[in-house]
Amino acid sequence: MPTITERLAQDVRFKESINSCINCGVCTAICAAAEFYDYSPRQIAGIVQEGNEEKIIALLKSDTIWFCGQCMSCKTRCPRNNCVGIIIAVLRKISQEEGYFVESRMGRQQLLIKRNIGSTILKYGYCIHPEIVNPEYHPEQGPTWEWVYKNKEKVYERMNANLDKPGSGTLRKIEQDTLQELRDIFEVSGGVELFDKIEKYSFEKAAEMGLASNPDSMDNYVKYISNE
Amino acid sequence: MNKSIVVIGAGVAGIEVASILADMGYNVFIIEKNKNIGGNVAFWHHLFPNNRSAAEVREYMNQKIKVPNITLFPNTEVTDISQKKNVYVVRTNKDATFEVGAVLIATGFTPFDARRKEEYGYGIYDNVITSVDLEKKLERGENITTTQGMAPKRIAFVHCVGSRDAKVGHTYCSKVCCITGVKQAIEMSKMFPDAEMYCFYMDLRMHGLEYERFYKDAQENYNTQFIRGRVSEVSENKDKSIQLKAEDTLSGLPLKMKVDLLVLLVGMEQGKDSDKLCDILHLHKTPENFIQPQDPHLQGNVSSRQGVFIAGTCIQPMTINETMQNARSAALEINHYLLHL
Repeated sequence: MPTITERLAQDVRFKESINSCINCGVCTAICAAAEFYDYSPRQIAGIVQEGNEEKIIALLKSDTIWFCGQCMSCKTRCPRNNCVGIIIAVLRKISQEEGYFVESRMGRQQLLIKRNIGSTILKYGYCIHPEIVNPEYHPEQGPTWEWVYKNKEKVYERMNANLDKPGSGTLRKIEQDTLQELRDIFEVSGGVELFDKIEKYSFEKAAEMGLASNPDSMDNYVKYISNE
Repeated sequence: MNKSIVVIGAGVAGIEVASILADMGYNVFIIEKNKNIGGNVAFWHHLFPNNRSAAEVREYMNQKIKVPNITLFPNTEVTDISQKKNVYVVRTNKDATFEVGAVLIATGFTPFDARRKEEYGYGIYDNVITSVDLEKKLERGENITTTQGMAPKRIAFVHCVGSRDAKVGHTYCSKVCCITGVKQAIEMSKMFPDAEMYCFYMDLRMHGLEYERFYKDAQENYNTQFIRGRVSEVSENKDKSIQLKAEDTLSGLPLKMKVDLLVLLVGMEQGKDSDKLCDILHLHKTPENFIQPQDPHLQGNVSSRQGVFIAGTCIQPMTINETMQNARSAALEINHYLLHL
């Protein structure tokens, strides 16, 4: 079994993204997330460069790796051509594969992302589809959203969208063979396997927290992580 | 034995080599593309580490070339160099031809074009200037003000602009900018005693004997604070002041700062003239695009081509005194070569 540090080093994205950081802080200075959260890309570079297994695992279990918005501003600035945004992408993948993500509040939200954007793209062919933005889980959408959600047929028709119907236009129904192509891509590229792992580790965590007894009834856990 | 030499470039290195070789009895032809001699020192105001006037160095150079066996060709550029056995034939855009025993390249450096670091706003925001601009203003005796004509209350200096930066292809340290920043901060503080100075650096490279003293002086007596962090971006406020972003890496916190004037400490890069000569003569270059010496320890002034010598900042970034010493060693190297030809 390779260590986490070894697995990082095997990832071509990682190898391309960290070349001897000199701690100048320009990534943190340009980082939009660092402006608002307790997050510093420079410190991420420092930890992975140090290669201390325990510290890296602690990082994979923390909220820290989930603050990055993947805007890649850090890439545009680094005088050593490092890119913490890409390092974060690699760390996130290992956190998902190993189940470390369930140990932090923001990590646990991977389930929501997987079930919304991740599953929706396979089911509908869209990352975001009106059907899945359930008002119950999206209080940030405000009270009007609930009305829109209930009256979506009429609302979208009035907006000149072609919601869930064959033919052309915004939000049209994506044909089965196209959807199958998408699913094949996810299958071959390991996306489906990663989705299954997120479900599996989330259920284990839910069970540990006493919020679910079988994988098909995760509602309490979903509600919990939506509001924690 | 051909007792003639062509020196390309009438800056600190070229003039020093020319004057020593002339002393030894050689005929020296100096080819200079500009009207005036002095290279980058031609427009400089004060020199670190003792704030002596650059005009004194220029005067030294002017005196040095006033000897019969040095001929200066200003406003002239080399167009071709060919070799016939041990004789180099140098042609210029003024249709002059020189047949000489050795060629010295002393084409110096070009200050980094700060517009290439667009995030610092040079050429976009009025109150962003370079260290070169500041020297020129001081040398011309201009008042230093913001573009609104106000005395600056806070001035920031950005270190390593165009140096140690893979993004612009310059991975090397330009060596002189750290101490130039300290020097200019002190000068600005003397001019504006109530103003605050901030230097944003990655590492401070105070490699000269007196530099550390200078640095301490700036901190203790000239309102200068040193913040360890590379500036990521600047923008302009409505009142034309400059907003900058950096991380104070020693406290681990991102910061924003409003300054009245931002000075970019630009580094050195190989000039187009050196590039052209390297092409004509097929000289080897370092990965940093400077001219590669034959042997960095033992033959630092010998190029990869026999009879072609190099001196000064076309080899690597150097201070003026290092350039002087380097030029003297080049003169000895050339003399040795011609004597043993």
